[in-house]
Amino acid sequence: MADAFLEARGISKAYEGVQALRDVSLSIGRGEIHCLVGENGSGKSTLIKIIGGVVEPDQGVVVIGGRPHGHLAAIDAIRQGIQIIYQDLSLYPNLSVAENISFNQFVERRTGFVSWKEMRAIAERGLAEIGERIDLEESVQNLSVAKRQIVAITRSLTQNARLIIMDEPTSAITREDVDHLFSVIARLKAKGVSTLFISHKLNEIFQIAEVVTILRDGRKVGDFPTAELDDAKLTYLMTGQRIQYTPYKAPARTSVPLLEVRGLSRRGHFREVSFSLWPGEVLGLTGLIGSGRTELALALFGLNPPDSGQILLNGKQARIRSPEDAGRLGIGYLPEDRLTQGLFIGQSIGDNIVVTVLKKLLGALGLLDPARRRKTEKRWLEELAIKAPSARVRAWSLSGGNQQRVVLAKWLATDPKVFILDGPTIGIDIASKRNIHEIIRALAQRGIAIIIISDEIPEILHNCNRVLVMREGRLEQEIQEVSAVGEAELLAVVGGRQGNGTS
Amino acid sequence: MKAALLKRNEFYLLLVIVVFAAAITIVNPAFLTIENLFDLIRSSSGMAILAVGFFLVLLSGGIDISFPAVAIVAQYITVNAIISLGIDNLALAFAIAIAIGLAFGAVNAFFISVFRIPTLIVTLGTMNIFHGAMLEFVGTKAINAGQMPNCFKTFGLVNILSLPRGDGTFYGLSVFFLIILAVILATWVILRFTVLGRVIYAMGGNPEAVKRSGFNLVRLQFFIYCYVGLLASVMGIMHASLISYSNATYIINSELLHVIAAVILGGASILGGTGTLTGTLLGVVMISILEKNLVMLGLSSFWQQFFVGLIIVLGVSITHLQKRLRERI
Repeated sequence: MADAFLEARGISKAYEGVQALRDVSLSIGRGEIHCLVGENGSGKSTLIKIIGGVVEPDQGVVVIGGRPHGHLAAIDAIRQGIQIIYQDLSLYPNLSVAENISFNQFVERRTGFVSWKEMRAIAERGLAEIGERIDLEESVQNLSVAKRQIVAITRSLTQNARLIIMDEPTSAITREDVDHLFSVIARLKAKGVSTLFISHKLNEIFQIAEVVTILRDGRKVGDFPTAELDDAKLTYLMTGQRIQYTPYKAPARTSVPLLEVRGLSRRGHFREVSFSLWPGEVLGLTGLIGSGRTELALALFGLNPPDSGQILLNGKQARIRSPEDAGRLGIGYLPEDRLTQGLFIGQSIGDNIVVTVLKKLLGALGLLDPARRRKTEKRWLEELAIKAPSARVRAWSLSGGNQQRVVLAKWLATDPKVFILDGPTIGIDIASKRNIHEIIRALAQRGIAIIIISDEIPEILHNCNRVLVMREGRLEQEIQEVSAVGEAELLAVVGGRQGNGTS
Repeated sequence: MKAALLKRNEFYLLLVIVVFAAAITIVNPAFLTIENLFDLIRSSSGMAILAVGFFLVLLSGGIDISFPAVAIVAQYITVNAIISLGIDNLALAFAIAIAIGLAFGAVNAFFISVFRIPTLIVTLGTMNIFHGAMLEFVGTKAINAGQMPNCFKTFGLVNILSLPRGDGTFYGLSVFFLIILAVILATWVILRFTVLGRVIYAMGGNPEAVKRSGFNLVRLQFFIYCYVGLLASVMGIMHASLISYSNATYIINSELLHVIAAVILGGASILGGTGTLTGTLLGVVMISILEKNLVMLGLSSFWQQFFVGLIIVLGVSITHLQKRLRERI
């Protein structure tokens, strides 16, 4: 690797006795698109911070452009052209696009004054370099996440970036925006700028990366040209275990569907949607953002009441105008991010589980009945096989997977018959994902009807027995036999690209 | 251009001021006179200076409620010092007061930047430390017009422009007008054209990102809180000169809420990062008119207290609502 822009050699780092990285080496060529993968805790973030000079390694050296840096300070890394774009993007929401792009340059210069004309010129030049157009006067808080990313990338570029490091850039944007982002990365490559990015989404890695470096437990598993990898192999290398999905088979249908939706419409959201759901099913609901899928789910939960159409539960017409109605009728809804953020981390597991059902646990005088409370806690600890010494243990002491079970228990304690999960595994690593998928299956097998809303086609294919695809507010297609459909095929349906060529 | 104007909070505030002024003029035609305007400038310039300082802190994402204490302590100590030194000199008075203001600002900045204590808590504490210490060590006795050194009294009466009334007497535009003009100009230049000013805006938007950009936050905090201290001490001198009287318990109770209300009314976000100097000054104008003219509309003066409270609560509610709406997109 004579042409490497950056090399990290033999990097080791320990935090308070925990070895985060052990003798890891990494080499990034000029203009290379390099992907860093690994599960949570595998040391990816630490490695990035060491390359950026934010964290000092215990051992090892970072070589930039052939020059070794024993002690790499953050400011030196920036001067050498290394730019880290953190997940939060480090933008100033209240300032204009132009100012966000050029801000750091004026800070660097130490002349003490800013020139608004120059500021706009810098921003214009930067955006033009990657062929982007954004209103320079617009306040960044009014931009979409995807546009904000472009602003952050442009800012890096105008600081003479030679290597742009992005921490999970695709976790909060739509598929279209991901494609757009990748075209920007490709343009950076053409200019000789290297990109190192972290991603959890395997299909994206295969789409863009040239080289994939895999970390596991702080050690490097290896560097692989993308062409040598596939889903199964990458997953195996990351987790050290072979994960195989068997398609989900739903039990035989009952005579009357548990949930039936007839001609449901809401202006501007969805039109004439009809479908049925039987106990024990895992129904996938997918479509682009704006296709109406989340709006439809919210309608079932009473947060977005339809203008017309009927919702039937067990054959009887149901009136759902509020989440309270939905809860009473046995419909549960788990919003995005809740599996990772829906935990009171400092409280005990038991407190977390009963928080949704406190009203049901009231005894005499309207006070909490300790016996009923213990019973509820015990039931869910057992049903979801949460590994904890007792319900009094604080939630933070659990492993990630067990924490997710506690969150699920919290929602399941309300005893839903229909359980809607919106983006259940967004931003979660492979092993934890697998864990959640297993729990979802277990729930379905107990007769709960599940609806999974997801952007990730593999997630839908591996976990659902039936899929509804929405587009522009309509039910575009219902796929009865998921096992008969391939990833590319489903993707085409979602994007509306099947049948009519490439448009 | 038109659309941009209609989007701005300042435009509506100006509209409200015009309507309110018109209403008062109907009841009392003497309101809309140059003499009354000059009088308004003279009496509200102190509040305007405090408001500019408070606005700057708010912009940076902090809050400083110690400024009325700084103003009165600087004033009272300075007046006493001038009396006991026997040197009746305005420049010396300003020098003493400003030194006190800067020192107190530095104390605030020290706790805020070095110990990273929330700004509201720090200034809530220092406000009482400064004022309490003064009451104990300097005294509580009011200094009346007879004892007041001449330099203050004459300073309060200097006009930069005199106009005749119908009866041959004169009224004028106070020299305070120049001071407030200088403060506004200086603050505007800092906020608009210096890196420091832009960093103050940036810090109100995303302090973590400012840290990552490599800017020295400790120095920034010292600048902000010393600037507020400086403005507060200048206001202290102006206040004593205006009323020819120095009372150890003045300013502290009257100005705090008025200034906060004025700045919030001017559209500055309590969460930091947004707001304009123009808005702040319009807010000051509105509160000053409210303060002096509610009685003319037949409302008791208690209504003023009521409105000031209402403005603060409503103003902050609107800011939070806007933020929530934005985050939902």
